[in-house]
Amino acid sequence: MTLASSRFFCLSLWLLPSLASMAADRVQFNRDIRPLLAAKCYACHGPDEDKREANLRLDLRAEATREAIQPGQPEQSEFWKRITSHDVEEVMPPPSSPKQLTESERLLFHQWIAEDAEYQQHWSFQPIRDPIPPPGEASHPIDAFICAELSRHNLTPAPQADPATLIRRVSLDLTGLPPTSEEVQKFVAECQRLPGSDLPYLRLVDRLLTSPHFGERWARHWLDMARYADSNGFLGDAVRPNAWRYRDWVIDAINRDLPFDQFTIEQIAGDLLPNSTIDQITATGFHRNAALNTEAGVDKEEARFQNLADRVNTTGRVWMGLTVGCAQCHTHKYDPITIRDYYSLYAFFNNTEDRDEVSTKAPALAEITQDRRQTYVHMAGDYARRGPDVMPASLSALPALQDSGQREANRLDLARWLVSPQHPLTSRVAVNHLWSKLFGIGLVSTHDDFGATGEPPSHPELLDFLASQFMRQGWSRKQLIRLIVTSATYRQSADHRKDIVALDPLNRLLSRQNRLRLDAEILRDSALCASGLLTRNLGGPSIKPPLPGDIFDVGRSVKWEVSQSNERYRRGLYILTMRSLLYPMLTTFDAPDAADACVRRERSNTPLQALTMMNDPVFVEAAQALALRVIREAPKDIDLRLRHLFFLVLNRPPQSVEIQRLSAFYREHYARVESGGKEALNILGIIESTTPSDQRLQTATLVGLARVLMNLDEFINRP
Amino acid sequence: MNDTLIPDLSPEERFRQTRRDFLATSSSGLGGLALASLLKQDGLLGGDVNPLATLQPHFAPKAERCIFIFLEGGPSQMDLFDPKPLLNKYDGQALPDSIIGNAKFAFLQKETATVMGTKRVFKKHGQCGMDISDLLPHIATCADDIALIRSMHTNQFNHLPGQLMLNCGAALLGRPSVGSWVTYGLGNASQELPSYVVMVSKGRGLPGGSSTWSSGFLPSSYGGVMFRNGTSPVLNLANPDGITNEMQAASLAALNDLNHLQHKHIGDPEIASRINSYELAFRMQSAAPELVDLAGETQATLDAYGVNRIEPPIKSNLGGIGNFQTFSRHCLQARRMVERGVRFVNVIHASWDHHSNLDPQLAHNCQMVDQPIAALLKDLKQRGLLDTTLVVWGSEFGRTALGENRPGNKAITGRDHHPGAFSLWMAGGGIKGGQVYGATDDFAWHVDRDPVSIHDFHATILHLFGMDHKKLTYRFQGRDFRLTDVHGEVVKGLLA
Repeated sequence: MTLASSRFFCLSLWLLPSLASMAADRVQFNRDIRPLLAAKCYACHGPDEDKREANLRLDLRAEATREAIQPGQPEQSEFWKRITSHDVEEVMPPPSSPKQLTESERLLFHQWIAEDAEYQQHWSFQPIRDPIPPPGEASHPIDAFICAELSRHNLTPAPQADPATLIRRVSLDLTGLPPTSEEVQKFVAECQRLPGSDLPYLRLVDRLLTSPHFGERWARHWLDMARYADSNGFLGDAVRPNAWRYRDWVIDAINRDLPFDQFTIEQIAGDLLPNSTIDQITATGFHRNAALNTEAGVDKEEARFQNLADRVNTTGRVWMGLTVGCAQCHTHKYDPITIRDYYSLYAFFNNTEDRDEVSTKAPALAEITQDRRQTYVHMAGDYARRGPDVMPASLSALPALQDSGQREANRLDLARWLVSPQHPLTSRVAVNHLWSKLFGIGLVSTHDDFGATGEPPSHPELLDFLASQFMRQGWSRKQLIRLIVTSATYRQSADHRKDIVALDPLNRLLSRQNRLRLDAEILRDSALCASGLLTRNLGGPSIKPPLPGDIFDVGRSVKWEVSQSNERYRRGLYILTMRSLLYPMLTTFDAPDAADACVRRERSNTPLQALTMMNDPVFVEAAQALALRVIREAPKDIDLRLRHLFFLVLNRPPQSVEIQRLSAFYREHYARVESGGKEALNILGIIESTTPSDQRLQTATLVGLARVLMNLDEFINRP
Repeated sequence: MNDTLIPDLSPEERFRQTRRDFLATSSSGLGGLALASLLKQDGLLGGDVNPLATLQPHFAPKAERCIFIFLEGGPSQMDLFDPKPLLNKYDGQALPDSIIGNAKFAFLQKETATVMGTKRVFKKHGQCGMDISDLLPHIATCADDIALIRSMHTNQFNHLPGQLMLNCGAALLGRPSVGSWVTYGLGNASQELPSYVVMVSKGRGLPGGSSTWSSGFLPSSYGGVMFRNGTSPVLNLANPDGITNEMQAASLAALNDLNHLQHKHIGDPEIASRINSYELAFRMQSAAPELVDLAGETQATLDAYGVNRIEPPIKSNLGGIGNFQTFSRHCLQARRMVERGVRFVNVIHASWDHHSNLDPQLAHNCQMVDQPIAALLKDLKQRGLLDTTLVVWGSEFGRTALGENRPGNKAITGRDHHPGAFSLWMAGGGIKGGQVYGATDDFAWHVDRDPVSIHDFHATILHLFGMDHKKLTYRFQGRDFRLTDVHGEVVKGLLA
């Protein structure tokens, strides 16, 4: 068995000092045993009583130790006999199960039983602690946690990234836009003037946190989770003309750093707040974003059921990192969520009707509470099969709701429960989301599963430190992001390290930063920004950049009237999201489809992306505008022009070998453009009329170079 | 690791595993490697990092590729594939409650609805003696290659949910299509074309748009790539105006060199992977136009598919007017695609939703698709490709024996949606042709024998591709998702 080929090892890599000393360590239930039980045993011996075999449940110690497990005596335990049996009738898991145990997993079970078969409450259901950062040289608390873990593995952190890299990284991360050349030069000069000082970087971070583009960048993440779209979905896919008002509310809320608890309350129950404002009602658009089937002949009750189930599932996923959706049809197989819990949560939303508010008071799509409806458990998740009555209630495995007295608990109680300091999940989950955007992966790598089948945190104490810090600082998103990006851990170089490829191939210990392929919108924004084409207005109705007729014409009733003038050069997050016609450039780079809450985007790498970067009109036009910009801004010397072009695209000066290669390409490309005659000058495109007539050849050549530079992996990635 | 199949790992796990191995063993980075070796099929990158690297199926496959012809809207089974002599006898009469039960309808007024007869004439075709309607004379000549399923049923009676069910295995948005699952399970066998291609000809338009071929929660690299009509079949395939192929090649060379320098400096294997993507894209720039250029086809082939045929006149048609040549071309292109290693092809036409004017419009649509589809089957067979190419004809549901009497209709000229029983056929790729599978009652209302659900149909497709539908999983929202959810049985009777 190699280290890398052991799935078990990969699950728990960062928690183990080394494989060799594994056996010497005491087995920990949460770390070692629960993931195995959940993956391989709970399907038949877990919380779901409908599927439970032999009346045995292994998720509760009292039940498991009644007969199957004799604590301290593995050899006397039926459990051990079964998992080691050679009799096909006896052996567990049964031979038909695709989830078989490995030898090392069996040995872990043996050791666990021998050590008294202790159970622990699942880590994410335990109260959030407030750990003190480990002692050491690191002055920043995050670094203290990270370095303590690194030193256990005899690793040291990577050096700090150079200033040009740092400003590009933190600008892209905080505002979703690359820095301007002036900003880079100024920052690099300041760093040189004040060697070893944190001051230039801290000033930079504070400037970026107050930029209005900060709200745009971080709103997009939230919109992914809100499954935001500008259309209904399904047949017809009608445009929701006011959906953007919710999008703008998110941008504004993030820019004014609306505390996350209030941010939560307003979106789930803004309409129930006393004297609720138009803004607070707009916020409730969160759940109105879900797709809606309005096809003729649709069963309205079924459509409503699906829509409300989506709200339950999304709330569970986005705020609690729980796969509550699994309990829609049956009690959860791995986590302590019963089907009754599910419909108790459903009951909070069941009194909600959607209304397209057209009055001037609340022009957004908002939630309005209607007459009370009785909620039932729906057997097997079938909207038509009613089981027992249920009342609104929190999940039984989590702290109870605050007592609402005689009044039936409502969505406002639910929202307040979610953000109460006693809730073990909300802050952890929110912190993990923010962290994941800054490192590419969360401290909990399964962003949407903090339950038994999710992976445990790589740095549990750090997660809790951040989660409690987040609440202590008034749920301030900006404060938390500031805390993270000012750490040395965040500022490390992202260069790959040979010394960790065997030990930590996925870099979960964070002995360097990660390079991250830019999100779809940010990639587009970067090209527009470098070229100077970007229109920086905030908010307003969504835009429609050019799209070939046969692409948008595939649906039933989609009209794609291309946005005029500079509107088409607005940021990618403003592009109209039609559920039946996802904008190809965005989809190609893994933008979500707004079907479900997306808590983590893929970062794929495909030939279609290459075609998009090379030939999509927005990137071609950016190359054209960029060439003209260089002609206008740089002196006539070609070497200086190439350097300027390089700096505009990559935010750093070229190295000599790079400028050599670029110069060589410039010369050969110039010759081709020259011999290509009039045809070759077609590449001027949108700058055809504005290019100085005596520099048309050179400008056309520079478009070709700009195109190459904007296709570099370095441009496509956050460093 | 590369060649051995670990049975209890999903493709996702296998991919992550090989990637992990790759990361763990690549100690010095790739900066020094020559480009040629980077691009070698199944080389270091092709085999280990690329999510579309070819993967071994669970067991020996019968089908290596699939052409899935999706005729959107619900073609009338009793006018095409499932003859019901009693329809004309009971024309104008109500159906007893014992048959209709508590069925729901989209538009039909249950209380006053009556049976609508059919003008169609059915004859027996092939050695097997398969009953096929006079609207499909060409396809009828392929009867001995076709397994006609008359006992399909679905649980959705509205278009989009039904279509998502048929194409993606669930009536919800956000699920991967069959083609995406197959691509995820097996990777891309082509080094210059996408693995999963979609061609659409439309009249009224496709309700789900691109969600019909979406990768859903799978990474987007497994989604269908829509081929467009014209010389630049893939969006953004053509170089911008003013950039020649020669310039493009030189640009790519400069790009690769600069990327290599960066790779040497940073050591991130993703950079090498990106270089690979650009090379593939460049090859696609010549391979895709070549694919849609029919100049190399003989006149006999072009004529067989009807690429240049004249469309007969019709006043109006839900399925559009002017699609005859396009559909012929799509069928011929489908053959050219599977020849070149494309694994999954969707040929889509909308619409067959004949609530009214069924007779003329169904006839028109049939005339459009009959000849090219038959030509495709024969062409594949003649080239020895039919044995390993699965061809499917299907739609989201069928239609009612009752005529549609929606308020405002002057006369009864069409049929409503019917999910309870409908017909679909499969040919080639491990299918036992020349058989009718399953049967319905006298009004094609209920399935009488051998019901086949959408999940069964999907399980069977995956089986033909050598994959166990219960093992092809992807972890999403904390659950191992399957194309077949928790249902589906392989329909053994359909297998050769």
